Amino acid sequence: MVKLVNIGLNQQQLELIDKTVTRGIAADRNALMRKALTEYAAKHPPQGGAEAAERKKEVH
Amino acid sequence: MDRPVIAEFVLQPGCGKAIEMRRGMILRIEQIEGGQCVDFNCFNLHDYKEFFHTGRTRHMHGLHPSKGNFLWSAPPRERPMMYIMEDTAGTNDILYPRCSGFLYEYHYGLATHTNCHDMQAEAQREYGLTPDDVHDSFNFFMHTGIDSRGRPFIARQKSKKGDYVELLAVIDVLAVPNVCGADIMATSDFAFKPIRVTLLQGSEADLDTVPDWPKMANQRTPDDFRQKKIKADRELRRDTSYRSEFTNVPIRVTDLSVTLNDTEAAALDALKQTGLYGEGDGEVLRYVFFSWWIENFMQGPKHFEDLKT
Repeated sequence: MVKLVNIGLNQQQLELIDKTVTRGIAADRNALMRKALTEYAAKHPPQGGAEAAERKKEVH
Repeated sequence: MDRPVIAEFVLQPGCGKAIEMRRGMILRIEQIEGGQCVDFNCFNLHDYKEFFHTGRTRHMHGLHPSKGNFLWSAPPRERPMMYIMEDTAGTNDILYPRCSGFLYEYHYGLATHTNCHDMQAEAQREYGLTPDDVHDSFNFFMHTGIDSRGRPFIARQKSKKGDYVELLAVIDVLAVPNVCGADIMATSDFAFKPIRVTLLQGSEADLDTVPDWPKMANQRTPDDFRQKKIKADRELRRDTSYRSEFTNVPIRVTDLSVTLNDTEAAALDALKQTGLYGEGDGEVLRYVFFSWWIENFMQGPKHFEDLKT
C-alpha cells in the first residue's frame, strides 16, 4: 500500500530541491523527499506528547 | 473600535510597501492565513536619518516587545516613533537581523532569492532611499528564543489567522512592512502567506493612551549637533514614477506529489502526531524536509530550534 502526499512548494523552494538532486543526493524530487523523511525520522524518533510538551516548554 | 480606513493593502509573498503615516494614524498588520513573519522598519517622514533602532528598542523592552511597548529611534535621537497598541499573537522578535541575499547564497547556495533586505530596499526606493538606508527590522510574529547554551533559535510560528498588531504613529513616519522572504528557514514555517496591512485614522484619544516616556537632554536633534548642516535631503518624498521590481515575484506555489511506502507513511504519521511539525501531511513533510536539509547541508550556524539538543 502506498500513500500520496501533496506538498505545496514555491519556485524558490523547488530550486533548492532541484539543486540538491543535481548534487546527486537523490535520483529525483520524490526520492529526495522520501530520503529526507526517512533520515529525519530516524534521527528524531518521535516520543509523543511528552517530547512535544518538553520541547514546547523549552521554546518559551 | 471602528476607525476610518485610509488605505488597505494585501502584501503578497516577496513584496513590501512604504506607507506614509501622520502622527495619530494606526497601522494594522494582520495575518490572513497565519504563520507569516512580517519585517518592519520606519523612518521619520521629515528626516530619514532618524530611523527605528532594534538595539535601543531591545534595551528598553527586551527581545520580544509587544503591546504597550515602543519602537525607538536610534541614538542620538532615541525617542518613541511608534507605539504598539495591540498585539494578539504576542510573539515578536528584535534579536535577529533581517535576512539578506548574502545569507541565502552563503547558507543555501541560492544567488537570487527573496530576502527582507532587498524587499525593504525595493519598497523604500519609492521614497528615494537606497539599499544602504535599510536598517535592521522589527520582526513581527517571528517566534524566537535563546537556548541554554546562549544560542538564538527560530521556533515554530504561534500566530494564527486573524492575529494582528496595531502600531500608532507617535511622530510622522514612513512605515515599511514586508512579507518576510524566508521560505527555506523556519521563520514562517517554510511557507509564504500574504499579509493584510490597513492604515487607520486614529484620534487624540488614541494618542492619550500612549504612556509618557523619558524626556532627556541627550535625546538630541540636529539642532544639538556641532555640525548642523547635514549633507543629505532628509525629507522623504514619493517618487511618482516608481514601479516596484521585487525579486522572484510573483511567488507561485505548486503541488509536489510524493509517494510514500508503508514504512515512510508510518514515519510521517508518527512525526505528525507530535504536533511539532504542523497539521496536514503536506505541511509536516515540508517542515521535515527543510529541517533535514538545514541539518545536513546548510552552511554556517543553523539557528534552528530542533537542533539545539
